[in-house]
Amino acid sequence: MEYKEPHTNGALAAICTNLSKACDKQMRPTEAGLFDKLASYFSQSAGVAGPVSINDLDANIAADTESGYIAVESRAQQVGDRGALRCVTWGKKVTAIHKSVLVRYAKQGDALMEGSNLYVCEACGFIAIAKEVPGLCPICKAPASRFTKI
Amino acid sequence: MHAARNIALCTKDCLCLFVCPTGATDTENGQIDFSRCLDGCRLCVDACPSHALYLVFDRYPVKPQKDAVVASALDNLLESKVKQELIGTALAQGENGGAKLAKAIAHSNRVLAEDCAREARYILPQGSETRKLLTELLGRRGDPGFPVDAVEQLLELLQ
Repeated sequence: MEYKEPHTNGALAAICTNLSKACDKQMRPTEAGLFDKLASYFSQSAGVAGPVSINDLDANIAADTESGYIAVESRAQQVGDRGALRCVTWGKKVTAIHKSVLVRYAKQGDALMEGSNLYVCEACGFIAIAKEVPGLCPICKAPASRFTKI
Repeated sequence: MHAARNIALCTKDCLCLFVCPTGATDTENGQIDFSRCLDGCRLCVDACPSHALYLVFDRYPVKPQKDAVVASALDNLLESKVKQELIGTALAQGENGGAKLAKAIAHSNRVLAEDCAREARYILPQGSETRKLLTELLGRRGDPGFPVDAVEQLLELLQ
């Protein structure tokens, strides 16, 4: 059978780590390990061409904010897809945080992170620049245990 | 349907051990012995004072398909988040503060990408869309380094 799925290798890596986490939650460690194996293959085959700068993120953030999330949200409202609406609600806020962090970094440079740590919420992707891990995620209300220190 | 234990919540009150009719809750690895667990019995789930036990289907019923327009809009977002993840990963190579921030942005975008994948169609490992993807991935057999054995095992294990 010819491979026809439209996903890039980078997307396939994310699809596979998502399915690995789903298997973990269903207490299926063997299946989780197999999805992780596929995810590492796809991660190794993914990458960006040429030199990149932090400004390259701006165009994608703008497109997500101005059209990407709106396209999902308007259709999800029409068909009553509350799961997709939840994804939009969190994702839009996290994307706005990315934008504000990048604006602040452009102004302050490395001083932005001085004396602070970086934490990412594993549930929604919220980024905290703080001395201590947040007690509660301000976007999705996940507890401190769901944060990863970078 | 069998019980599963979230070991992070288990407080070792061990009520499950004493209500289980088959001994499936008493194992050396802390997980329920799914093969001995009685379908839908749920005695341990109701008895556990720490809510560390829950029920999981052995075989999943067919789930209604996602709306095609929602799914394709989420596919576009998924690709955008992955692109941002890859930009972040490329920028995260050094040791300076910017590299650390790029790493956090890459990590955050992976979480966002996974959420898009989940809501587009790949929420359940047992779902028909996951199966379809795995079946299509068999077509990559022969690509250098592609772990086709993992795909075959998943198709076997996830029914």
